[in-house]
Amino acid sequence: MSDATTTPAAEAVPDTGTAYGLALGGPLNELAQVGPGTPYGEVMRRYWHPISKAEKVTTTPRRVKVLGEELVLFRTGRGEPALLHPRCIHRGASLYYGGVEEDGIRCCYHGWVFDPKGHCLEQPCEPDLGQHRDKVRQPWYPVQERYGLVWAYMGPPDKKPVLPRYDVFENIPEGLHLIVNDAGVGGGGPEVLDFNWLQHWENVMDPFHVPILHARFSGEQFTPEMAVIPEVTFEYTPVGVRSTQIRKLDGKRALRRRTEVMFPNLRVVPSPRLTPGQTNLIGWVVPEDDTTFRIFTLAVHEDLDFLSKLRSTFGGKPWAELSEEEHRRMPGDYEAQKSQGPISLHSEDHLTTTDQGVAMLRRMMAKQIRAVAAGKDPVGVIRDPADEVVTITGGNFFLTHEEALAEGLVDA
Amino acid sequence: MPSSGALLAKYTPAAVTHGTPLAVLGVDGVVVLEGEAHVPARLEHLSARGKWVRDVQVPEGTREAVAHLAQRYSIVWASEWGPNAHLALAGVLGLPATPWPYLPVQFDKLAAIRQYAGGRPWVWIDDPVVDLHPLPDDPGGVVVRVDPSKGLVGLDLSEIDEAVLRTAARRAPSHGASTIRKSS
Repeated sequence: MSDATTTPAAEAVPDTGTAYGLALGGPLNELAQVGPGTPYGEVMRRYWHPISKAEKVTTTPRRVKVLGEELVLFRTGRGEPALLHPRCIHRGASLYYGGVEEDGIRCCYHGWVFDPKGHCLEQPCEPDLGQHRDKVRQPWYPVQERYGLVWAYMGPPDKKPVLPRYDVFENIPEGLHLIVNDAGVGGGGPEVLDFNWLQHWENVMDPFHVPILHARFSGEQFTPEMAVIPEVTFEYTPVGVRSTQIRKLDGKRALRRRTEVMFPNLRVVPSPRLTPGQTNLIGWVVPEDDTTFRIFTLAVHEDLDFLSKLRSTFGGKPWAELSEEEHRRMPGDYEAQKSQGPISLHSEDHLTTTDQGVAMLRRMMAKQIRAVAAGKDPVGVIRDPADEVVTITGGNFFLTHEEALAEGLVDA
Repeated sequence: MPSSGALLAKYTPAAVTHGTPLAVLGVDGVVVLEGEAHVPARLEHLSARGKWVRDVQVPEGTREAVAHLAQRYSIVWASEWGPNAHLALAGVLGLPATPWPYLPVQFDKLAAIRQYAGGRPWVWIDDPVVDLHPLPDDPGGVVVRVDPSKGLVGLDLSEIDEAVLRTAARRAPSHGASTIRKSS
């Protein structure tokens, strides 16, 4: 008796490609890591980052972790937000246990008081409340409030740029609201996502996964139109990479959907439920460290629950209510990206046709690393306040048959 | 840093001409330009079987430069374009119908190139941005870095030919000579 695995021909030419002796490669740490002194971490530190919803910054100190740095965030009694290194410069007790006062925070150990810029205001155990207190400074970072978020700049003081404004959030029409969300919209999983931030960010430049992961594989997670495999144009922009996806729709209409990544970590992903026109939402992918990140999202809409309703469902159920078997059977972005590993083994990737946008993004990241290492500004850094408003081009644009025909996107 | 064995475990293209020196070419910054071009260039509309399109600048003279290299070397693409390098650029550069082999690497490509080249002489022409780490003093072949605003046409190809010949002569049978050059 024989079977196919023991034929003479098979014995003569053993099959190859087995996992025996597999030696896996490694991550592109130069792009993925964000801590102080890392190549892309230094790129990140040339921009402002949202670090908290403003409403969560109170007179109760909070531990926050941003770009691999443990920090303490609070709001003084006068209402000024502050972001300080937690280790008190006196003897190292954490300011997390400090008491917030009118002008700053008082260390629990010996009572030194620091204002939001780290100035020492008082050393109560010292003569005259500290005759030399102006000689010391608690390490601090500049913060600003805008759009309901607190933003931090964690880079070299002499390189501090202008905090940008975004055209979609300026001049909000009456009846619409600015919605602020820190619960991981777009991540398809928990509020704090537990894998490397780049796996999520570069996914924005991967439009080909949408009709597979979010439609064919797991059932329709968004809309029927999103299940159509698009024709895609990739292009560099002055501040990132953009993909324009053309989907041919019923009635010989077409959908032009534009998504963007903007440096260093913006995700411009128009509503996957296809709210028409210029996108009404933008997200920031903010690493806590190399293996956890948050997504801060701003949106403009009449419905204050717009972002909550935007989240994909799986067989009609929200992600958090799925059983393990349902996660396995109906994976979404979180399952796909987390399963790439804590930090994906990028050298093992087989980049091919559908990965053109991902490859372009990685290349542009490498360019920004070189620019920063050479002492130059990376792209998108704003120096002149006159240039502070950033234009967003992403959106869902429906074309009638006549419009699509005129552009050669559909047949007559 | 992954081992060279791991890099090539996933895909090993078949060599086309044994013994012929290799010219390993990047794509971006080499045969197509991004951003401002400092040489005359045409905007070309490239496509990968209609899956995606990109408008890129191809410097005038690139077709001839690639033809020059193809007469002297076995060309190997080494880029994140993967198999699409030949496919998308065939019409613009007048490439043969049978695709040249490719190494699917985007950064730090040296290990993959050395493994693929075996004992053959090689020149690797690429944009410096692909080097996330410094190259060793002895890369084992001729490394040429382009000015990505000029690409391949910013190079003196006859100098490269001479460098490859010199390196091949010095290496035979066991020398480890090599060169790293930068475009001016």
